[in-house]
Amino acid sequence: MFTEELKAFRRLGFRHVLLQVLNFASVIASGLMIWKGLGIVTNSESPIVVVLSGSMEPAFYRGDLLFLTNPSSEQYKTGDITVYKIPGAEIPIVHRVMETHDVPKSIDIRKYTKSKSKSKPQPGEDSKQDNQLLLTKGDNNYVDDIELYQGLEWLEKKHIVGKVRGFLPYVGYVTIAMNDFPQLKYALLGGLGLLALIQRE
Amino acid sequence: MHSIFARINNTSALLSSCMMALLAAIALSTLVFTARPEGNVSVASVQVYSGNTRRYATKRQDLAFVDFNITADFAPLFNWNTKQIFLYLQAEYNTTTGIKNEAVIWDRIIRRKEEANVNVIGKNKYNLRDLSTNFKNAPPASYSLKYNIMPYVGALTYGEAARNLRTCCVPPAKDPCIIFV
Repeated sequence: MFTEELKAFRRLGFRHVLLQVLNFASVIASGLMIWKGLGIVTNSESPIVVVLSGSMEPAFYRGDLLFLTNPSSEQYKTGDITVYKIPGAEIPIVHRVMETHDVPKSIDIRKYTKSKSKSKPQPGEDSKQDNQLLLTKGDNNYVDDIELYQGLEWLEKKHIVGKVRGFLPYVGYVTIAMNDFPQLKYALLGGLGLLALIQRE
Repeated sequence: MHSIFARINNTSALLSSCMMALLAAIALSTLVFTARPEGNVSVASVQVYSGNTRRYATKRQDLAFVDFNITADFAPLFNWNTKQIFLYLQAEYNTTTGIKNEAVIWDRIIRRKEEANVNVIGKNKYNLRDLSTNFKNAPPASYSLKYNIMPYVGALTYGEAARNLRTCCVPPAKDPCIIFV
């Protein structure tokens, strides 16, 4: 099956092979640029996420795609659906904000967060806004997320990846299937790579 | 042009472009609806008890219990792209130290138009507590009923249906000590 492809490559020369590889690399690079550019525009490290758990049913099921933004100039309000990551846990969680407490800069927020750090918190880019302490809960859960916080009493803005703005159903199920069946991931990547290298147009 | 590979390529490209156009049309078509339902929120009583809930840091803190009465009709918000409406009643107050607080005390999910007429006399589902663990210097709180429309495809929208303008004072804690689980 590959003999005629190999003959064609030998005829066209080494330069052609290099050109194919360059095309492949530029496709990958432009994909990465689009992803990172979207992350900068939305101010979120991961602007498109897939719902992994069923704790927001019946609104979001496993496999739905969510579009996030993380506006640094806006405070989070109750009712916002946020995606957050607890330091120490790798899985981002999609839940709804139940309580917000806006603490003005004049009060040291560490009084309420049991934080052990001795250094003053950096002002950074959110020096215009008050600090916030948030509590979240999944719609399908009976109680709030205190047990998921791994010792924290409140969430702060730095834990939040973004706020959900838009929604596409079912599209993300491919990534869940690839996580559950890693052979599928390798097969798909291998097949795509092979196709990209062999295509002559 | 006539190989199986080319055929599959063309049909799948056409399928995905049509699908994306359809989803975009559904999402954009719901921008036409600008219904803003009005409702009514009234608070019957607010009581504060000092208690110890083992859910949060085991310390004695004030917990407020609110009895309220809500009437609202959300039927105009339902269209072909509405999957569910999430209603929530929240208490808002600013403490004397300058901390602004907003806490959801009751919520409900409406999935069908038939359930959209809401008439609830109830009390808070969730604990209402303060950062400083007591409501001694708490100012009057205002209560607002808000909603979040979740579509089948597209952007999430938020709105406010009712607000209790006559704010109720939060009374000082009563003596009975109740232990909550």
